[in-house]
Amino acid sequence: MSDATKHVVLLVGSPKGLEKSRSSRLARPVVDGLERRGWTSESLHLHAEVATEEGRERLLGAVDRADLILFAAPLYVDSLPAPAIRGLELIAARQRTDGVERAPRFVSILCCGFVEPSQNDTCQRILQRFADQAGFEWVTGVSLGGGGPISKRARSALGILTEALDLEILVPDEVDRLTRKPAMPRWLYIIGGNVMWRRWAKEYDARDRLRDRPYRRPDS
Amino acid sequence: MDREALLLDGGRDDGDETRDTAALAVELLGADGWRVTHLALREIEIAPCFGCFGCWVRTPGVCVIDDAGRDVARRMVQSDLLVYLTPLTFGGYSSELKKAVDRLIPNILPFFQSIDGEVHHVKRYERYPRLVAIGVAPSGPVDPEDEELFETLVHRNAINYRAPSAAACVIAASDDDAVRRDRIARVLEVDAGGGS
Ligand SMILES: Cc1cc2nc3c(=O)[nH]c(=O)nc-3n(C[C@H](O)[C@H](O)[C@H](O)COP(=O)(O)O)c2cc1C
Repeated sequence: MSDATKHVVLLVGSPKGLEKSRSSRLARPVVDGLERRGWTSESLHLHAEVATEEGRERLLGAVDRADLILFAAPLYVDSLPAPAIRGLELIAARQRTDGVERAPRFVSILCCGFVEPSQNDTCQRILQRFADQAGFEWVTGVSLGGGGPISKRARSALGILTEALDLEILVPDEVDRLTRKPAMPRWLYIIGGNVMWRRWAKEYDARDRLRDRPYRRPDS
Repeated sequence: MDREALLLDGGRDDGDETRDTAALAVELLGADGWRVTHLALREIEIAPCFGCFGCWVRTPGVCVIDDAGRDVARRMVQSDLLVYLTPLTFGGYSSELKKAVDRLIPNILPFFQSIDGEVHHVKRYERYPRLVAIGVAPSGPVDPEDEELFETLVHRNAINYRAPSAAACVIAASDDDAVRRDRIARVLEVDAGGGS
């Protein structure tokens, strides 16, 4: 790869993959924006890649080619989905044993279900530790909360992030400022969310069974 | 009735990373009167969570994937103590431990509530096990930043999985036996016995 052309590798760590997941829909505009600025890109779905020997090779090969790794995943129980952790384990083990010299930059975009973007903080720290151990240069972690479609604020934050990544300048605080705030008040999220679950269960005729306790202990 | 403990052992590959620690935890809990189920997750096929929420809206309380992940979820609710054992992985859990942890969400309800000023899920069951997590750092000394991160993660998990209480510790694979025994006994709240 010539010095002039930069390569971004998007790693998506959601079971819903490269098309349907919210995490990839958040990361896609960044990749598209970089391509418009002359970058090349490739995108991998970690769940699929870690499941086969060929996929694992492909993953490590892509990381070797990257000037920038854009990692996008949902928050699963305050951390990453298991196959996404598997991907990071493989990358870190390889970077350590092979002593690869180049240090690609690493950026993460995390999205969670709860309305507070700060719920992602612990997981962002885990990713930062990963970047340290894998020998990558940590740039920033962008955290988005749940509740509704991707907001205008989030879109402009991703635009600013894209520009900073292309120019290799510090990511402006504006990105954090635009994404830190919950998309709606907590009470509204709770009421709206609880209505949504009942409606969804109704589609499966499960509304009356929502509170079932199939594993209740015999003594309780 | 016996007190039930479920030990989820997230050691990877051949299990070397956690084998000694698992044996020690099983011994200490057994000596304290616990009935322990030790699941070496690397030997158990558990598919990753699809993220479909079927366990909430379609077959409430049961994962739509019919494999050993269901069994882990059932055992979790029926235990008094849940022990996570993991090689410390970027300050968090290994993929082997996490494949089981992700499959525990059927045990809470989809509904939201506010807990300490944040959104979390409502309980499905009246009782949940206490959560204890033991991280094993591959080499010593343990990085205090990793330890603090691990403890934070465990406490966050305890809120989401509605554990009545939680504790965590990190030991180094290179710690000598007496030190490890003492730390594990302390976090499990059992007697360290003759070895310490
Ligand atoms: C197993 C599981 C665990 C989850 N844990 C959390 C959590 O701890 N906190 C949170 O806010 N959202 C949690 N969520 C919600 C997801 O983060 C949220 O639905 C996200 O938007 C999914 O993104 P995706 O479409 O990229 O997969 C969890 C979802 C699943 C299926």
